[in-house]
This record gives sequence, structure tokens and C-alpha cells, in this order.
Amino acid sequence: MAGLIPWGWGRRQVPINREAELSPFRTLRQEMDRIFDDFFRGFEVGWPSAEEPFGYTFPRIDMSETDKEVLVTAELPGLTEKDIELTLSRDMLTISGEKKEEKEESVKGYYRMERHYGAFRRQLPLPVEVDPDHCDASFKNGILTVKLAKTPEAQKQVKSIPIKRA
Amino acid sequence: MTTELREREEVRTPEGAERTRARRTFIPRADIYETADGIVVLADMPGVDENSVEITLEKNILTIDGRVEPEQREGYTLTYAEYSVGDYHRVFVLSDAVDRNRIDATVKNGVLKLTLPKSQEAKARRIAVKAE
Repeated sequence: MAGLIPWGWGRRQVPINREAELSPFRTLRQEMDRIFDDFFRGFEVGWPSAEEPFGYTFPRIDMSETDKEVLVTAELPGLTEKDIELTLSRDMLTISGEKKEEKEESVKGYYRMERHYGAFRRQLPLPVEVDPDHCDASFKNGILTVKLAKTPEAQKQVKSIPIKRA
Repeated sequence: MTTELREREEVRTPEGAERTRARRTFIPRADIYETADGIVVLADMPGVDENSVEITLEKNILTIDGRVEPEQREGYTLTYAEYSVGDYHRVFVLSDAVDRNRIDATVKNGVLKLTLPKSQEAKARRIAVKAE
């Protein structure tokens, strides 16, 4: 059933240029986008599926780059570094794990349940080839930060093109 | 706010109001449950630590404010974003059954845990039935 619903509705998976938010016309456009997003979000069912066991993309990630590195950050509130497993292949980073429910008290009833628990797995195709021996990951305040070094070949691929005056 | 939060929702300011920080503000996802001793609120606020979260109680309005300072990373360009870094804000209305003086808050791994103990009057009491 969830497969019949067009995915991607209401989800903003486009790069956000933060500088642009300062421009008034961009802001206006973003406001318009948000109105439409909110409208379509009404149709979004958000049921769990194999790809999205939480009913939404989890964990959410941001990616940034320098000439030498790719930096991935992921929001994983309520997990510890021990709950997260990171695997890397040449061009794919996989974040998997389980968000465990910590419950020491006897719960009598729920008023609100917006958080989700359970196993998750997310595969991120990397924009360039990375060197698996030069990677570094840290976890703090519910945010996972992964630094991946680009391979020398991948670094070389970036070449500036001189512009000649015709 | 009765609808369930599905997406990372932004806080809307009332008509004409402006915030003093040019930062996006999100509503943290929260679980609220009741135990024998009180009510527990768990809120997902990734990026927040014990120093950057502020809880205020005014009359029966409990406000949670979390501030997240975006890490300044020299030379990095953002290529893909699903969550943009922003602050958190959420307001709850407490019932009289909560003992306001014993509210406890902890932050661990980006999750805020608020314990709101029930006041003595509101606690269920077992009344022993004596034989005459």
C-alpha cells in the first residue's frame, strides 16, 4: 500500500543554500514552497515500509565537502555510539543500528508518541571515491559526524578550467 | 497542536511577530507518558546539551527552548541537506496535578527527559478496607 503512494511528497531533499535565506525574494519563494509542501503533506501517509521503518527518512543527514574530505552528519537522538554501525565501501556509506527504547519505569499510558524506535538502515551513495583507511567518526549530543578522506585520484579529478578571452 | 508530527516541522511565529535570532526553529518530536509517580516527557533535540537547553515554567506553561550553534567548519561547502541546523521550541500546558517544585530535566545523547512528578493530592491512593 505504501508503495502506491508517490514517495518524496512533502519531503524536502533538496540542497538548502543558507545564504539565500537572507535574500527577501528567496524568502518569499521559500514561504510559497512551504505552503505547497504543507498542502501536500496532508496526503502523506508516513506508514512504515521496508525502506523507511520509521515512516520518514531516518536518520536525516547533511553532507558537506572540501577538496580533500567529505563530511556527513546524521541526526541520531537517543542513541549511543555503541548502537550505531557504520560500514563503508568505495562509494557507499551505510549507517545502521537500532534505536532502543529505554524504559525503566512502569508506563501506565501514553499521551503522545511522536518518536520512533527500532532498527534502521540507510545507505548513502557518496559523490566521490573515498579512502576507507582514512575515515573518522564521532558521536556527540545525538549527532554523528563522519569524515571521509577522498582518494588522491578523486581529488585529482577536480580540475579548474581556464577561461580564455575569445 | 493535536496532529501528529510526521516531518521535521518548523515553529511558526504568530502573525507579524519576529524572532530575535535569524535561525530556523523546529518543534522537537516528543513522547509523553504517565508512570505511577508522574509524567515523563522525552523530546528528541539532536545537537543540544545541558547548557544549551532552557526550561521555563510560568504559571502552568512549560516552555522548552533549545539552542543549537551550527559548527563553523572552515572551507566546507554544504552539498546536500535534509535537516538544516536550527533551534528547538515547544510549549506544554501543565495540569494542576503536577508538583511544580520537583520538576527534573536531564539531557542525554540529544534527548531531553523531563520528569514531572504528580502532586501528592493527585496520586492514587489505596484505601484499606477494615473489618469492623
